Amino acid sequence: MNAPLKNRNLKLLNGNHAVAWGVRLAAPDVAPLYPITPQTPILEKLIEFQSQDLFDAELLTPESEHSAMASAISASALGARVFTATSSQGLLLMHELLHYAAGARVPIVMFNVNRTPAAPWGFWPDQIDSLAQRDTGWVQLYCENPQDSLDTVIQAFRIAETTELPVMVNHDAFWVSHSVEPVDLPAADLVQSFLPRVKRSVQMELGTGRALSAPADQASWNLSRRDMDVAMHKVPGLIDAAGREWGDLTGRVSAPVETDRCDDAEIVFVTMGSMAGTAREAVNRLRDTGIRAGLVKVRLFRPLPVAELRDVLAGVPGALVLDRNYSPGTGGVLHQELKSALFGINEAPNLFGLLTGVGGINVPVETLVSLAQEYRGADPVSDPVWVE
Amino acid sequence: MIEIVILGRGGQGAQTAGNLLARAYFAQGFYVQSFSTYGGARRGTPVMSSLRADSQPIGLRCNITRATGLLCFDDSLLDDGFLSLAGEGALIVVNSARAAQALSKPGRPPVISIDGRAIARRNHMGKVVNSALLGGFVAALGQPDIDTMCGIIEVTAPAKKAENIAACREAYGLISGLAERA
Repeated sequence: MNAPLKNRNLKLLNGNHAVAWGVRLAAPDVAPLYPITPQTPILEKLIEFQSQDLFDAELLTPESEHSAMASAISASALGARVFTATSSQGLLLMHELLHYAAGARVPIVMFNVNRTPAAPWGFWPDQIDSLAQRDTGWVQLYCENPQDSLDTVIQAFRIAETTELPVMVNHDAFWVSHSVEPVDLPAADLVQSFLPRVKRSVQMELGTGRALSAPADQASWNLSRRDMDVAMHKVPGLIDAAGREWGDLTGRVSAPVETDRCDDAEIVFVTMGSMAGTAREAVNRLRDTGIRAGLVKVRLFRPLPVAELRDVLAGVPGALVLDRNYSPGTGGVLHQELKSALFGINEAPNLFGLLTGVGGINVPVETLVSLAQEYRGADPVSDPVWVE
Repeated sequence: MIEIVILGRGGQGAQTAGNLLARAYFAQGFYVQSFSTYGGARRGTPVMSSLRADSQPIGLRCNITRATGLLCFDDSLLDDGFLSLAGEGALIVVNSARAAQALSKPGRPPVISIDGRAIARRNHMGKVVNSALLGGFVAALGQPDIDTMCGIIEVTAPAKKAENIAACREAYGLISGLAERA
């Protein structure tokens, strides 16, 4: 084989260490963190950086994830750039304060490593932990690989601070969090110029007499959600612009929805996170056999980029939604969301909701190839299908 | 694409071995992907480490089911389930004091046996076998080259660098010698 990497400036990092590098480059002021498998290497790497004087954020290690988020809200309300990270049970313990952070419009960036929630106890890649937080008011992004995780966590600070919305970036346990791969590290000054400090529209300070989240009447509470709605609508455009600018700086362009070989596709996979990598390989194999397959990767899940999804999927005969999550009583969360997003469009695809990889089970490329062959030209099915 | 699966027991260094092998392939210019799943692993339970190396960026995020090479850190873990991961013509190296013939069964693919424990002891490494097994494994695979492998061990070994490298080279010599005699 060739040796294509000989002259490239790449470093071997696992997904969690790539996140820690991104956070180090983004230079937050405060980082309250509580360890949990499989997030812990993010915390460990940041502590290692700090011990080497390479990361000078105030690292707080409180007694629980709930307290970590409480600290993050307080620090962010005072104008600090704030990062935290968690996974699964830790994220679920934060749930109350996720609403609080979004309502208080504090631009925290949090990295969540997608892991099965108990019971039964497990450590496996499954996205239901973060998808269950979809109504809390956090922007949610999903990453495919360690490079994507590094790039996205940096961009997340810009999105959060521009919109004054908290941003949650996610990657799958083990498939990304513990996968060691070549990662390009952007220069510190590049990141610094990409992430200028932004003055908050409202900032808590001593002597201002301001209080965080004082009791509001009905109309004020209603207005707070209307304001969030306005901010949420700006997010897809901002993420698109940030992804293009990042592409100019690093050669790696990203967008809220990314497509591969969709132009003439008769059937496409629609998925989020690490599954996109295997699906892309399945697309290539299907194309080799004459089946016009394509891939739609949903990178931004909240707000759901409805306009982009309608544009990409209109006219495609069939779409296989691959959900590595299960919402009991309904099915895959992305499948549900797509049914809603595509409602009423002309030439909507026949949509198939496939529960693939729930609980972290292996999904080989051969399985995806077989599914595309099976569902190509099939009549639509409204219920989700469990894939072995 | 080269696909490798390493199976060991928690604490034996199978995950470290996978990462070191990935570093060696990377140093030789390959794209690599090294991953492991261990869940609630504790010392002594089976731990699997997987590695892909290719001349192209690697997108697959799924288990390896047709490996180019298998490395087993403990012959008590050598079962049909692990061997079913071997692709056609896969090279299978097993850490065992028993001869390869003693590890074979009808219907199983042939394996190469290497006594990593004895090599580790001879090189003052105690029970730490992963440097020896890496030396034997890269000899069987024919890549990455032994100097690159030892270079990676030298920069990553937290202690006993010379002993680790000596164990790696001794195992490499033993397995290379087997290949030449065959």
